[in-house]
Amino acid sequence: MTLGSGLSPYSGAWGYAQAAHLLRRSTFGATNAQIKQAVADGMAATISKLFSDQPMPDPPVNYYFRNDPNVPIGSTWVDQPYSAQTNFANYRRRSLFAWTFGLLLNEGISIREKMTLFWHNHFVTENINDPKFKYVYISLLRENALSNFKRLVKKITIDPSMLLYLNGNQNSRRAPNENYARELFELFTIGKGELAGPGDYTTFTEDDVVEAARVLTGWVVQGYLGAGGLEPTPLFVQNRHDITQKKLSHRFNNAIINDNGQYEYGDLVDIIFQQEEVSRFICRKFYRWFVYYDINEEVEMNVIEPMAQMLRDNDFEVKPVLEALLQSEHFYDPACMGAMIKNPLDFMVGLLRQSEVKFSEDVTPKYLEWLAFFGYTDDLQMVYFIPPNVAGWKAYYQEPSYYQFWINSTTLSKRLVFTDALTQAAIVIGQNVLKIDVLDFISKLDDALDVNNMIDEITNIFLPMGVTEAQRDALKELLIPGLPDYEWTIEYSNYLGDPSDEELKQSVERKLQSFMKTLFSMAEIHLS
Amino acid sequence: MKRRNFLQTTSAVGLPLLLNGMSLSAIARPSFFNNGNGSSDRVLVLIQLNGGNDGLNTLVPLDQYDQLANVRSNILLPQNSLLPLVDNLALHPNMSGIKSVFDNAQATFVQSVGYPNQNRSHFRSTDIWTTGSAADEIITSGWVGRYLDDQFPGFPEAYPNEDCPDPFAISLDNIVSETCQGIGGNFSMAFTDPFSLTSISEGTDTPLPDNHYGTQLAFLRQSIVQSNAYSGVITDAANAGSNQVNYPADNNLANRLKTVVQLISGGLQTSIYVVNIGGFDTHADQVAAGDPTQGIHANLLAELSEAVKLFMDDLKLQGLDERVIAMTFSEFGRRIRSNDSLGTDHGTAAPMMLFGSCVNPGILGDNPEISRDVTVQEGIPMQFDFRSIYGSILMDWFEVPESKVKTLLYNEFQYIPVLRLCQATTSTKDLDSFGESIVSYNFPNPFRDWTTIAFESKGEWVRLSIFDDLGHEIKVLSNRQFPAGEHQIRFDSHGLPPGHYYYRIQTANRQKTKLMVKI
Repeated sequence: MTLGSGLSPYSGAWGYAQAAHLLRRSTFGATNAQIKQAVADGMAATISKLFSDQPMPDPPVNYYFRNDPNVPIGSTWVDQPYSAQTNFANYRRRSLFAWTFGLLLNEGISIREKMTLFWHNHFVTENINDPKFKYVYISLLRENALSNFKRLVKKITIDPSMLLYLNGNQNSRRAPNENYARELFELFTIGKGELAGPGDYTTFTEDDVVEAARVLTGWVVQGYLGAGGLEPTPLFVQNRHDITQKKLSHRFNNAIINDNGQYEYGDLVDIIFQQEEVSRFICRKFYRWFVYYDINEEVEMNVIEPMAQMLRDNDFEVKPVLEALLQSEHFYDPACMGAMIKNPLDFMVGLLRQSEVKFSEDVTPKYLEWLAFFGYTDDLQMVYFIPPNVAGWKAYYQEPSYYQFWINSTTLSKRLVFTDALTQAAIVIGQNVLKIDVLDFISKLDDALDVNNMIDEITNIFLPMGVTEAQRDALKELLIPGLPDYEWTIEYSNYLGDPSDEELKQSVERKLQSFMKTLFSMAEIHLS
Repeated sequence: MKRRNFLQTTSAVGLPLLLNGMSLSAIARPSFFNNGNGSSDRVLVLIQLNGGNDGLNTLVPLDQYDQLANVRSNILLPQNSLLPLVDNLALHPNMSGIKSVFDNAQATFVQSVGYPNQNRSHFRSTDIWTTGSAADEIITSGWVGRYLDDQFPGFPEAYPNEDCPDPFAISLDNIVSETCQGIGGNFSMAFTDPFSLTSISEGTDTPLPDNHYGTQLAFLRQSIVQSNAYSGVITDAANAGSNQVNYPADNNLANRLKTVVQLISGGLQTSIYVVNIGGFDTHADQVAAGDPTQGIHANLLAELSEAVKLFMDDLKLQGLDERVIAMTFSEFGRRIRSNDSLGTDHGTAAPMMLFGSCVNPGILGDNPEISRDVTVQEGIPMQFDFRSIYGSILMDWFEVPESKVKTLLYNEFQYIPVLRLCQATTSTKDLDSFGESIVSYNFPNPFRDWTTIAFESKGEWVRLSIFDDLGHEIKVLSNRQFPAGEHQIRFDSHGLPPGHYYYRIQTANRQKTKLMVKI
């Protein structure tokens, strides 16, 4: 198979399949109504909606904890002090986790949450126990999700969580710690090339790691778990900084970095960004996040190179490049569609959004519900704020399996437990019962009286490439076993004629639940 | 960079197609497990120490203690806390469990295992260790995966089947093991709880398009079918199996190994298990301030040591100990010099540990030589190539011929007797049987531009190469057959900066790594 298509603008048909593809990849799942709206709006208008500026979300709130005198239930804790007597970190951490799941669940047509998670996977921090630190970190990524890559690298370099996570706070002129310096090159900016000689990775060298570590000396962190009554802040301590001259290798044209105190890390980032490879490295990651993992020579030439060029031309502004990718011929090439295995968040949040499951309105039950689902992401092996290591989730970097890492016997059965509960058993959290309201769901379809049409409409919402005729027939058997098609029309019309008839209602509902359960257990449901 | 294409060495593998029935040819093929080659029920357990283990604080060379005190004083373990193993070598104080395994003649320590041109990236070096590649080649299959591919060509199509009902490999983890990545699929099945495997609806069989979508859908369908097929046998084995010792609930590694014993004892015919213990990336706070016997590294070694001891005891009590060997590995060792954060940065070689009643018990290799003026970047130079350890296990444990081992791993493979025929042995101590020491020296030393390396050949192939203090093999001085007798080879170091260098001599069954100093 060849993929000749490139980054030039897509000019082909714009229908349900294209709109659904765009929204599946750029959001955490779109409803039938949202997809239809995108079809009506057209590609350009949908793109501009996806990329439009959004206000920052309201911060997470205390939803149950009664012993924090400064934070009543319903108020935020993100700017409130810790206490020496009582542990506030636990309730705040739960609140942050729940709130994050809520953001994914409730975002409208916007690419921002997908990009926030992208940056979290790119600039990993984990294992930071202070929820205020985590909030500062994720807010930085969210605020800059569509802004400037170079600027973001500078900001993340002195982010309090990052300084803790990669030992930047322990990096001083007397005791240089190379941890951040190495990842700055290898994972965050330029990537590691082939081994070209001793300690020389083509894109950077071991000596560059040593020199960069010296550039980055001097930064410490304040306010961890409220230490000193301070908020999470980075602090530059002059006498921890190495003021002697640093010299990078020939991979950076032997660049010299003179002492520039607290601004010196910015000089280092500027020098790294002079290398074209930085733009290619990040564009390959964009590609693997939005399109497909396999980057062959053709894709490298027709897609990655022009994206990288565009990124450089725009001085590392991210938005134009992503807009171009998501409007490109290549993105809508049928050969690129449907081949992404959903990550656990995409899988769970996507199905919840697409099937329009109703959550509670009040703060306490709402957060409890979000937190319950957040907890289940651990079973599916992708927990927000806890990537497995500094390189992020394997699905986005590890050859040759990539996305296939999400799937194994454990995760498959756990995904099934989730979909079975959603479609049949129902998920009980506190007072609320969460399940798909199947009758409400089909009432919004164009024509649910025609069984074949109904199946096509539903499968086109949930499956990237729909179903084959044989699959449709098999699914139909669940609704009208061994019966002619018109029997569905009769049964469903009878129910519509008298919705108060509990027996009629239940028999239609049960059929539909069994249909949804089977649909959600198909191999295709894991694809986006 | 070289790319080795293992596709050429196996039958053509295209898209893994849908697994509905089993093709007759697959069932008719002789099965590894029933072919009477004597290795049918042998098990290898890989214990991956993620993050890069500090070998110098695990297996401490006592004859270098003064030099260590000079370069890593802030993390140095007090001499009186160490657990002596043999002359001049001792274990971390938290490794009493492993010490008793060693004293029972069930442990081998291989000193300074690494590879030429050490890569200090976690990810790249882990790839190198899991794939069994050289530092400068990209291989996407794992070393165990390639071995299994050779035994079961065409996998995953047509597996499981009547002859091979059990998974070939199990990763007691959330994800499959890269070590077990084959060409057509991954041989390992990943789970942590053998009782929580659910049967999944296999859906409708439809033709698949020849594109990315078809590829991924085929993978998903196959995963579902295979998972269903394997989950029954695993749960059955877990139900049938048992444990004879108590594993403490708070030792995660021990509980993974407990599951391994349970499955083996329940009759599962899986030959490879992979378990992980993470946290060895001890850049900071490797030891506790004020007490180097405590801290992150001490806790990790305590967990490892306790887990290994219980595992060996359990196997022994159930009469399974002669069927199972376990081996640790880690992506690199750490720097010789500690940093000022009470930690150590990424280094070079480190010891590997093998456990089991069939290991050749004792110590392989020399204590590393530590100089008083170790540079900041210096790691422990390699003595053994890790691929030689892998290959020797394939030969002795899985009875793979040496020629095939060379194809699967590397051509300069050196056989190392880490295992022995599993007959009753009571004595432990150095492995005298393994070659003899190579007589060698260099002069002058220290040197300016030239030094001469002299060695004694027994009439054999000799590879003589020079390594720098970062573990890079910077020059191969000779790699050929030498007649018996003393030989001298000159090393021209013009253009190289002053510092520490090592010469390494390797023959078919001996090797030596020695420090020399350019001034």
